[in-house]
Amino acid sequence: MSAAVGSRAATAATAATAATGPLGAPATPASAGSRPAGRRRGRRVDPVFYAFLLPTLVVFTLAITLPAAMGVFYSFTNSIGFGDFEMVGLTNYAALVTDPAILGSYGFTMGFALVTVLLVNALAFALALGLTSRIRAKTALRAVFVIPMVVSGIIIAYVFQFLFSNSLPALGTALGIPGLQGSLLADADTAWIGIVVVTAWQAIPSALLIYIAGLLSVPGEVYEASSLDGASGWAQLRSITLPLVAGYVVINTIIGFKNFLNSYDIIVGLTNGGPGTSTRSIAMTIFSGFTSGDYAYQMANATVFFVIAIAISLVQLRLTRGKAAL
Amino acid sequence: MPTPPLPSARPTASGRQAPPGGLSRRTLLAGLGGVGAALALAGCSPSLGAGGAARSRVTEITFYQTKPEAVPYFAELVQRFNDSQSAVRVVHDSTSGIAAGFVRGNPPDVAAFTYNLEMARFMERGALSDLADLPEASRIRPEVQELVDQYATYPGRTSVLPYSITAASVIYDVDLFERVGVAVPETWTQLLAACDAFRAAGVDPIYSTFREPWTVSQGLFDYTTGGMLDVAAFFAEMSEQGTEVGRGSSVSFERDFAEPVDRMLQLAERSNANRASRGYGDGNLAMAQGQAAMLMQGPWALGEIAKTNPEARIGTFPLPVTEDPADRKVRVNLDLALWIPESSRKQEAAREFLRYLMQPEVQDAYNREFLAFGTTTTAPAVTDERIVGMQRYYDEARFYQGAGKAIPLTIPAENYVQGIVTGADPARTLRTMDADWRRLAFRA
Repeated sequence: MSAAVGSRAATAATAATAATGPLGAPATPASAGSRPAGRRRGRRVDPVFYAFLLPTLVVFTLAITLPAAMGVFYSFTNSIGFGDFEMVGLTNYAALVTDPAILGSYGFTMGFALVTVLLVNALAFALALGLTSRIRAKTALRAVFVIPMVVSGIIIAYVFQFLFSNSLPALGTALGIPGLQGSLLADADTAWIGIVVVTAWQAIPSALLIYIAGLLSVPGEVYEASSLDGASGWAQLRSITLPLVAGYVVINTIIGFKNFLNSYDIIVGLTNGGPGTSTRSIAMTIFSGFTSGDYAYQMANATVFFVIAIAISLVQLRLTRGKAAL
Repeated sequence: MPTPPLPSARPTASGRQAPPGGLSRRTLLAGLGGVGAALALAGCSPSLGAGGAARSRVTEITFYQTKPEAVPYFAELVQRFNDSQSAVRVVHDSTSGIAAGFVRGNPPDVAAFTYNLEMARFMERGALSDLADLPEASRIRPEVQELVDQYATYPGRTSVLPYSITAASVIYDVDLFERVGVAVPETWTQLLAACDAFRAAGVDPIYSTFREPWTVSQGLFDYTTGGMLDVAAFFAEMSEQGTEVGRGSSVSFERDFAEPVDRMLQLAERSNANRASRGYGDGNLAMAQGQAAMLMQGPWALGEIAKTNPEARIGTFPLPVTEDPADRKVRVNLDLALWIPESSRKQEAAREFLRYLMQPEVQDAYNREFLAFGTTTTAPAVTDERIVGMQRYYDEARFYQGAGKAIPLTIPAENYVQGIVTGADPARTLRTMDADWRRLAFRA
């Protein structure tokens, strides 16, 4: 991507990357990250480490920080993406908070993210329990469950769109189930369900992997000890497994929530924001600023979204880092 | 819009910018020699080695044209032009993002591109040069040139030359009409009666594809509003009213669009039962298979229908929305228009190629090939029987540009309209559109 467009696209992506970028790193579970911090503190750091940092720092500044700052600047203008513009102060922000289309997209996205994150975590955790127990073909099954993760979102969306629009109604008609005879996606009241299902289908594998890692990190002795004390399977799950993998639950919940807030490709492929505007996500409204010439306005939207993403990141950092500060 | 705008295609289109990138690098190399050598130029080097010296007096210009189905056609045209003379060498760019070029300050030297509200933004800010002094400019039909001005104008300039007009109306299955004994309707009542006749014969009168918002907007919505209102005058007044648009204003979506939208809903009901889950491709397939009598699509769908069923007898007629047959009009859009950016440093060469494209034998051949209407006073009538039904309306300038295309994209009008046909309250939705219009006017 060439410079100017790239920077603009990157600005839009800021909201998105702001979530994934800085948050990817501290995602290491608290338990794993609790290395002795004191050892490093006293020593002088070899300058060569700063040299290692430099390339990333330069690229990050040029590709992320700078465009993001430009985007924030443009949000105070009336720029349409090129040519002359004027400073308009907070006009864009004032218009933003009263715009039902924007507010609607925030409402939809938040609700959707909340529902999806619950569904994903419940299912992923259950699957992880199954896949870490002593069952046959465990490795093969794990591989199967991870497949959705490696397929591109837009492809998944188009395939499911076909299933929802054609296969499911055909099935519903054949079986005489009244609720299934129309397309789920064609009804403004049910379209979100389709989006939740497909998003969850794609998101479960990564949550599953994290849960498997978490469950495997619980030492076998504690289970042995508890079973000697006569704890049932349910009691073990509630009193041992859950508390010991609580950190992983927090990570999965927050990372998942952030990712779902950024939803774009699956929604575009499934409903394109419709029927009507019932499934327009925040990312979709922001992106519309590039094609519709509403650049500055959507930059303001992106800035607001960016602040929200930062807030969520801070919560995550607090919850996951604990005392093992840098 | 000739092709269904697949959102998935968007990132690719704007992301791939190889041709202009390669070009500028090539120029850099020619001028600065060693500096450019640092760049790995796998793709460009062979052509460089061959023509470096000989081409020094040749002016190289970029011609921008991206309409997918026409890319091979224009590639051949460019080749022919390049072979015919040695002063100008045209490089065909069919992949860049157009906004990106303007933002970077290096737009193409000449373009044949869809002209719409988005392109008008560039024109409005003076990004396109004045072509009024070209003899070709005076050959354009005034009513067609007027279409350009409906979006925006730049004082004292003719910035855009219409090249190809596509006209859209009701696509109908001639065989089905004959079999059921229905004549082409000329009034709203006749249209409803025709629908009833098809229903009675067990045929879906209209095939609708509401899953894809653009098909609702360009079809039923544009046809009903265009058939009842003076669309251009309405939007001129809407712009005038700006932040005042609403209950008390002289025009508003809520009041002026209420009746057309009501008729749109009446026609929506007369569509296939699974309309809400069908997409653009489904509609073409259904028409090709004779499943429905009418489809609200543009000429781009004709080729698709023919792919499935080359034997299908298809015709077109403007949708009658009132009781007066004289109100019937066809929906047009400036499918291709020519312009030269102000910032091009090769105006002379760009104009030479533009004039080549405007030669009657070149322009008319293109429009014939792509089922489009010519824009000049001397353009021949269309001969393809599928669109010949619209020639009369085109000649008499009984046409309009779709209302859906006159609403800035920042107002999700296509989605709103899709909402209406899939069950949202029409009055409330139209009020929302008024509110959005006010809000946009406040920011602009």
